[in-house]
Amino acid sequence: MKIGIVNYKLGNLGSVYSAFKFYNYDVNLINEIKDFKKNDLIVLAGVGNFKTAVSKLKELKFWDKLNEEIIICKKPVLGICLGMQLFAGVSYEEEKENGFGWIKGKVVKIEGVSLRVPHIGWDAVGPLDNQLFQGMRDNFFYFMHSYHFIPEDKNTIIATTKYGELEIVSVVRKDNITGVQFHPEKSQGDGLRFLKNFLMTIS
Amino acid sequence: MTSLRIIPFFLLKGKRLVKGTQFKDFKDVGDPLSQAMIYDAQGADEIIIVDIEASRGNKIIDTNIINRMISKCRLPIGAGGGIKTVQDADECFRAGADKIIVNTHAILRPPLVKELVKEFGSQSVVVSLDVRKNKGSGYDVYVFSGEKKVDNDFNTLIKKLIDCGAGEFIITSIDKEGTLSGFDYDLYAVVRNLIPVPLIASGGCGCYEDIVKLHQQTDCDACAIGKLLFLRDYDIVRIKSYIKGKKVLTREA
Repeated sequence: MKIGIVNYKLGNLGSVYSAFKFYNYDVNLINEIKDFKKNDLIVLAGVGNFKTAVSKLKELKFWDKLNEEIIICKKPVLGICLGMQLFAGVSYEEEKENGFGWIKGKVVKIEGVSLRVPHIGWDAVGPLDNQLFQGMRDNFFYFMHSYHFIPEDKNTIIATTKYGELEIVSVVRKDNITGVQFHPEKSQGDGLRFLKNFLMTIS
Repeated sequence: MTSLRIIPFFLLKGKRLVKGTQFKDFKDVGDPLSQAMIYDAQGADEIIIVDIEASRGNKIIDTNIINRMISKCRLPIGAGGGIKTVQDADECFRAGADKIIVNTHAILRPPLVKELVKEFGSQSVVVSLDVRKNKGSGYDVYVFSGEKKVDNDFNTLIKKLIDCGAGEFIITSIDKEGTLSGFDYDLYAVVRNLIPVPLIASGGCGCYEDIVKLHQQTDCDACAIGKLLFLRDYDIVRIKSYIKGKKVLTREA
């Protein structure tokens, strides 16, 4: 299986790349439109601002291509952090901006009386009965975000993370589309196991 | 609640890691890549690496070192040293840093934080402050690795940096740094009330109990550890099992 990480000039893709490399997968960066075709799995990662991400994807003409690959060709996609949030119909980060809308829902700021925002650090994810979490040593994964995704269809929610009075959606899945709010590529052994499990579910 | 993070704090000088006492008398403590791999394997929650000569030398941290660390380690890495512009930060992110650490240039020009936050989001921008207790009851802030005192009032500066969007703070007590005599608990208890974002305590950690005490007295989100790891026989696994036994929420190493 060929894994392509979308390089839309937004930060840090090296860790995602080296995490897949750890298991010797055939992984490469998608730098141009023609690179999409040769990959079997598309990975959308990236850090930063929702609006900037949308405009960079459009600037590179990746936006329509991604819609085609994911919705028409049904190619598997993994979204990590901001990559997952881009699946949403709409984001309210600073100003309203439309996402891909692959999974209906909205991205909103983490808010709560006793909460520190941004949410940074290792937190427990559950339930772990999904195939994605098979063989985990523990249930802690690394989070780093100020906004979170609330899907409309609760059936798309695979796992959540309790953060104060909030229940943050940490894994979403709908057909060929999978997103994680935490960073498996930064979550040591369990993070690597998660990626491997994910790849098993799509291959 | 998020678990208390234990963060090895790497001070980079040239191509090597060093550790001193109160920002002086540095000793070589190894190679950044091999040390990073060791603490990753032990289950450190994050690594912070800062080039302590970068600001004074008017350069930024060697991004090749960051790149080598992220290709071998599977934990979040915060990197800093000399970051003065969005471009500098971008170089660090491209090399693979998950967060950038800004100190001197953010203090001298707080709008830098705003510019970085706009581009990278506040979750990736950590402000580092080096402070020393003054003769009154307050703290003075130092830049250029503790070399130069600035005139800013400590509390006002913190508020300003928060207004600019700082996503996290690491506050180092220069008086305590490298002394192994315990954290400056009063400092963190006071600034905790001013800082709504995550706070990392740094300077003075000398035994397991210091971390437990920090957690009980100050509600910090993380602690940075240096000498304890580099020059004493402590490791992350044992630190975590100890504090877990003392009811501190920690991720099992």
